[in-house]
Amino acid sequence: MISRTERVLNHTVLAFVSILVLFPVVWFLFTALSPNRGGQLDFTNLEWGNFSTAWKLGGFGHAMLASAVITIGAVTGQTLLAILSGFAFGVLGVTGQKIIFPVVLLGLMISAEVFIVPLYYTFQSLGLTNSWLGLIIIQIGMGVPFGTFWMRATFRAVPASLVEAAEMDGARTWRILWQILLPISRPAVLTLALLSFMWTWNDFFLSLIFIADPAIQPATLALGVFQGRHSVDVNLLAAGSLIVALPVLVLYAFFQRHFIRGVLNGALKE
Amino acid sequence: MSSRQLLQRRAATTAAVPEDAMGNRKTAGRSGRRKPRLSVRARKQRWLGLAFAAPALLAYGFVVIVPIVQSVSYSFYSWDGVSAARFVGLGNYKSFFTDPELAQSLAHVLVLVLFFAGLPILLGLLSAALLGRGKMRGAGIYRWVLFLPQVLTSVVVAVIWKRIYGPDGPLNGALRAVGLGDLAHNWLGDFTWALPALGVIGTWTALGLCMVLFVAGVAAIPNELYEQARLDGAGPVKEFLAITLPALRGQLAVALTLTVTGALRAFDLVWVTTQGGPGTSTITPALLLYRKAFLNPDVGMAAAIGIVLAIICLLVALVITRLSEEKA
Repeated sequence: MISRTERVLNHTVLAFVSILVLFPVVWFLFTALSPNRGGQLDFTNLEWGNFSTAWKLGGFGHAMLASAVITIGAVTGQTLLAILSGFAFGVLGVTGQKIIFPVVLLGLMISAEVFIVPLYYTFQSLGLTNSWLGLIIIQIGMGVPFGTFWMRATFRAVPASLVEAAEMDGARTWRILWQILLPISRPAVLTLALLSFMWTWNDFFLSLIFIADPAIQPATLALGVFQGRHSVDVNLLAAGSLIVALPVLVLYAFFQRHFIRGVLNGALKE
Repeated sequence: MSSRQLLQRRAATTAAVPEDAMGNRKTAGRSGRRKPRLSVRARKQRWLGLAFAAPALLAYGFVVIVPIVQSVSYSFYSWDGVSAARFVGLGNYKSFFTDPELAQSLAHVLVLVLFFAGLPILLGLLSAALLGRGKMRGAGIYRWVLFLPQVLTSVVVAVIWKRIYGPDGPLNGALRAVGLGDLAHNWLGDFTWALPALGVIGTWTALGLCMVLFVAGVAAIPNELYEQARLDGAGPVKEFLAITLPALRGQLAVALTLTVTGALRAFDLVWVTTQGGPGTSTITPALLLYRKAFLNPDVGMAAAIGIVLAIICLLVALVITRLSEEKA
C-alpha cells in the first residue's frame, strides 16, 4: 500500500544519504590511485604502484603480520572461552553464578579506559608490554563478557528437548557440547568470530598504549605513524590506509549479513 | 565509536533487567529443570560448569576486574610513575572542578554529543519516518553502504577525513569551485572549526548505523497499524508521533547510549587527526587520560579520569534504559 511517489521519495532519501556516506571512501580510493603526491585525482592515469610503494615505505609487511598474529590469537581465544563459558552459564549452571554472572555482565558496560592504567603497570612488571602475547591476553580478557553473553543466549535458544534426548542416549557433557550444541550454533559462532576479528584488527587505543616498539607494531598503529611521516604523500597515505582496512573490508563483503545481523541482533534481541 | 560498543551497551542494558532476562524467556522449561532442589547430580554439574567457565573467568579477572579495583586505589594517589606515590584522597577528583583543561575537555564532550548523537539520531529518525514501510527493493544495498563506516578502522576514518578537510582537499576545492573560496579553511587546524569538524566525522560514522537501526525497527512494525491510522485519518506527522516513534523506543535507547558514550570516550579519531590541537581546542577526557597516564605521567589523575568516565557512561546507560522502559 505504498504509493509510487512515496517509493520514489524513499529511494531518493536513501540514495542521497548513501552517497554522503560513500563519497569520502570513493574519493579516497581514487586518491590512492593518484599518480600525484598531492593526491589530485587523475582517472586516465591510475597508479597501481602506489600500493606496493606504500607497502614498502610503511613497513606494512611486518605490521600486517603483527596484526594477523594478534587477531588470530585473540579470535581463537575469545571464541573458545566464549563457547566454554557460554555452555557453563547457559546449560550446566555455575556454582556461585548469582554473584559471578552479574560481575561478568558488568564488563559489558565497562570500557578500557577504566582499567588501562593499572593494567599497563602490571603488564610492564610481567614483561608483557611490547609483546603480541600481551595484546592477545588483553583482547581475550576483554572479550569474555560479550562472548559469554552471546554464546549463553545462543545455547539457550537450542531446544531443551534436544539436549535431553542426547542425555537420555547417554551422551556425556563434552559430547553434548561438541556434537549437539556446537553444530547447531555454527552461524552464531561465526558471527562472534567475525565481530571479534573486526574489533581486534581495528583496535588502535590498546596497541598505542601497549606496543611502543615500531618493529612489532600492528597495522593500525603503523598507519598512524605512516600518516605522521608521510602526510605530504597523500596518494601513498591513502594506499596505506586501504591496505590496513582491506582484511576487514573483504570479510565484510563476504559476510555482511553476519556483521549487520550480528550487530542488530546483539543490540535488539530481547 | 564502534559497533562493539553498541553490542556491549545493549547487552549490558538488557542484562541489567532481571537476572536471567535474556535467555529464559525462550527456554523457560530449561531453567525449571535445575531450579527446584539441587540434586547431587545437579550440584556436581554446577561444579563442572565452574570448571568450564574457569578459563574465561580467570582471563576476565586478570585483565578487567583486578585492574578496576587497582584503578580505584590509584585514583587516590598522586604518582608520577617513578618516585613514591603520595596519598591525596579525593584530590584528583577535585581537579574536575578546578583544572581548566579538564573542564574544557568536558565542555568539548557536550559539543561532540551534539554531533555524535544529536544529529545522527535526528537525521536517522527523519529518514525512518520517511522510509521503512513495506519491503524496499535494494534495501540490502543501502544497508551495506550505510553500515560501511562501522567496519572501517577508526585510523582509516581519521586519515580519510584529514584529507577531506586538508587545505587543498576536496571540501575546500568544492568551496572554491562554487565561488565561496573565502570560506576555505584548514579546518582541523583552526581554533574555531576544529571541534565541529571532528564532530562531523562522528556524524558521518554514526548516521548510517542509526539509520540501519531505525529502518530495521520500523520494518518490524506491523503494517496494519499504519493502515489503521490512515483509515482514522492520521497525517504523516501524527502517524510518526503515534506509531513510529513509540515503536522505536528500544532502538532509540540503543542509539542514544551508544552515541553518547562514544562522544564521551572519543580518542582514536581525535588522536590521529588533531592530537587535541590546535592548542587545546579539541582536547577530550580520554585524550587527557592518555597524556596523563603515558606522556607526562600523573598516574593517579589518569586513573581518576578513567573512573569518572566509566561512572558517567554507566549512568548514561542506566538512565536511558530506565527512560526507554518507563513508558512501555
